[in-house]
Amino acid sequence: MSSTASNIVTSPARQNRVTLRKTVVSCLALAIALLLSIVLMSLIGSEQLPARASLCALASFGTASCGLTRDQFDILFQIRLPRILLAAAVGGSLATAGAAYQALLRNPLAEPYLLGISNGAAVGTMIALVFFGASEWTRPFLAFTGALLATLAVYRLARGRAGATPERLILAGVIVTTFLSSVIVFVTTLMDATRIRSFTFWLLGDLSGTSKALLPVAITIAIVGTLALTLNARSLNLLMLGERDAFDLGVEVGRVRVVVFVVASLLVGSSVAASGSVGYVGLVVPHLARLSLGSDNRISIPAAALGGALFVIVADTVARTIIAPRELPVGAITALIGAPLFIYLLKRA
Amino acid sequence: MFRLLLSHFEIKKLSWLALVILLAACASYQTPSTQNLREITDDAGRRVSLPARVDRVISLAPNLTEIVFAVGGGNRLVGRTSYCDYPPEAKAVAEIGDTLHPSLERIIALRPQVVLISTASQLEVFTQQLQNQNIAVFVTDPHDLDGVFRSIEQIGDILGQKEQAALVVQKLRDRTNAVEQAVKQQQPVRVFYQLSAEPLYTAGHDAFVTDLIRRAGAISVTADVPGAWPKYSNESALAAKPEAIILPTGGSMGTGNSTVTEALRKSPAALANRVYKINDDHLVRPGPRAVDGLEEMASALHPDAFKK
Amino acid sequence: MRPLLEAHDLTVGYDHRVAVANVSLTLNAAEVTAIIGPNGAGKSTLLRALNGQIKLASGTILLDGQPLERLNRRKISRRIAVVAQEAELRFPVTVLEFVLGGRFPWATNAGWGWETERDLQIAEAVLQETELTELSGRLMNELSGGERQRALMARALATEAPILLLDEPTANLDLSHQATLLALVRNRCDRHQASALVVTHDINLASQFADNILLMKEGRTVHSGTPEEVLKPQILEEVFEVRVLVDAHPVTGGPRVTPVHEPYRHN
Repeated sequence: MSSTASNIVTSPARQNRVTLRKTVVSCLALAIALLLSIVLMSLIGSEQLPARASLCALASFGTASCGLTRDQFDILFQIRLPRILLAAAVGGSLATAGAAYQALLRNPLAEPYLLGISNGAAVGTMIALVFFGASEWTRPFLAFTGALLATLAVYRLARGRAGATPERLILAGVIVTTFLSSVIVFVTTLMDATRIRSFTFWLLGDLSGTSKALLPVAITIAIVGTLALTLNARSLNLLMLGERDAFDLGVEVGRVRVVVFVVASLLVGSSVAASGSVGYVGLVVPHLARLSLGSDNRISIPAAALGGALFVIVADTVARTIIAPRELPVGAITALIGAPLFIYLLKRA
Repeated sequence: MFRLLLSHFEIKKLSWLALVILLAACASYQTPSTQNLREITDDAGRRVSLPARVDRVISLAPNLTEIVFAVGGGNRLVGRTSYCDYPPEAKAVAEIGDTLHPSLERIIALRPQVVLISTASQLEVFTQQLQNQNIAVFVTDPHDLDGVFRSIEQIGDILGQKEQAALVVQKLRDRTNAVEQAVKQQQPVRVFYQLSAEPLYTAGHDAFVTDLIRRAGAISVTADVPGAWPKYSNESALAAKPEAIILPTGGSMGTGNSTVTEALRKSPAALANRVYKINDDHLVRPGPRAVDGLEEMASALHPDAFKK
Repeated sequence: MRPLLEAHDLTVGYDHRVAVANVSLTLNAAEVTAIIGPNGAGKSTLLRALNGQIKLASGTILLDGQPLERLNRRKISRRIAVVAQEAELRFPVTVLEFVLGGRFPWATNAGWGWETERDLQIAEAVLQETELTELSGRLMNELSGGERQRALMARALATEAPILLLDEPTANLDLSHQATLLALVRNRCDRHQASALVVTHDINLASQFADNILLMKEGRTVHSGTPEEVLKPQILEEVFEVRVLVDAHPVTGGPRVTPVHEPYRHN
């Protein structure tokens, strides 16, 4: 392309940058894919449901039974659909949190699971189960607290004279993760497993059981959290390239940092309280989003949210059908898919 | 410095002598109990060498502790796990850790002649270490009630309490037969065994309790699911529409697992209020009290058959 | 005309030691000021304190006549732009996107706002000024050190800020680009009435392009004034502890500083 002024308008750089229109189109496409996956995956499960009748019932939003038996209807609307929606909320939350941490900490490997933030939320939830077992609302709250404390611990540990370099951050994350994992195993071994669940639940995730009351909470937090982080996307774009530079260009670094830490902890907390730690979502999905749509957070954060929801819905469908009627923990599937995918992504980069 | 005191040749001679003496000492080292040996085959197919008279035995599983006491060998039990809480007299016996992580040192310090292990403990490496200490290890692996009866007989044999063991087994068999007879004419009840509500775990094909359920005149809806304690799909539980639900609770589980899982709240069992809480220790320990569990389940599922 | 920025008696502490002590300076429109001095003189610290990044232990900074602490970050970044030594480039970003970051101070919606047409025009103009138009679609980490420096410069120029603070901007540049970059700075100052403060190790570059030179040592101002006033052998020798020869540059006539290295003597 010529570099004279008159041709600048159509320069490839201009064309390739992320615009509002591109963002809306991509997100719309992902949203449609998400909706489709919700519908399709609710037709799949350990029990066979008649496809047409199910689709009809879904389309009527549960008002018509369309020929499904009482039990089939219950399976579809009481068990399967809530679980899929939970998977979407958890996947979206974790992916968004991962994308935000990566931008803020300037580290493509920052992820709630690897940094120990998920484990912090798990310990918080365990405390809620042990001391406030009956009251469900304490769980996401204490999970949030645990996640926030873990975040601060990692951040503090990683800060050296030169600021939190990526290497120090990963190291700090490994320290916090392994320490908290040991705490989890320790407590689950000693305490009554029926009260606080086994450590496979905490460390590998499980979407099979959540009360009807907490599902709307998880969904709301996922949506609100993603919005809150997307509304800081432009600041994050600058922060991603250096804290000092962002400061120089007018970003209120302290404020954005607080927002990201708090919102991301909320997202991770609500996910872990509902389903234990589901790993790799916050690592692989934002990577894929950035790879295909660019590093601009204005598009990659919402795209990660939608992509994360999709990813976990699919992973959970595999987890609950592959050895039906038995079930695998969803975290096992996300790791099995996520780890090789991540290796592949690393090689490409 | 030694080089100055002894010549090279003298050192060599002395070393050989020391070695020979050491080997001889090792060869002649015997515990008194390694004499008068006899051999028994355990459930793992191992041929175990035992002294004729066993005075010191350690149990590494609660069901084995119960069996030892049942055959009258309780006064010879010198070690138990922290979970071994029945009969009450067992609590006076020294603890050597829990079923999964027993303390090797404690066990050795108690100088048992035999250590009884249940395969639920999964202690292969451990058994090797015990054998290195000349401690006999006897593995039991009962999958069903008949296996339990055999374990009782075997342990009775080990402890020289064959007669008492035979008596115990006979009584248990009589009670078992009585139950099976009583429910023979009854329609088998479709039962769901809920091990934990959230996440949902149940008894699979290899679980001990599945045999008890069958004998109690019931069909476990998860009897064909591979494995012992599989994590089960909520959908499939709902679709199974069990007529009754067994909730193991109150024993070692404490107050846990006392409510039916969400997916089964509208099952025929829940709606008909056929949810039965039974002491979990009676259902998962392959020991004498398993027959208690059998009776409790049977009378709950078929009350008409047990009217007195 | 009122100075764009006035700094009075600044003292900055750093881990129990004083990095800058009682330094004052003034930045006027259409002027280039250079700060020179040995390592550890506090030059970069001073620069960072001027845009509010480092807290002052004492002293005041007035930006357009107002105290710096009273102004919010965005206002400051519309008036002061910083060209750092290097950027952290752990995420792939094109040159155009990078330079567009300089329009952030003018964003009406800092959260999820999108660049306007005007933003794009300014970015492209600035890319032309820094001769980066052909590279505008390339990823930043594919660029050479010198090209990246120019991109940093371009981003600062895109902010349209009248005060430019440059921290060793010529460090990674070859000779031709050193001159080009400083000519750019000079141009900005002359044409747009900007004021530039350049921290540099290159005394001769400072001599050529700067209107004022601030010579620092161990946090203090040793001397300030025009190049002719400051670049005197006695002063330089005392500060840098090396023998120097100062003569007139054959082409520009300004002071030219040449260090005289004693040959190493074997004993």
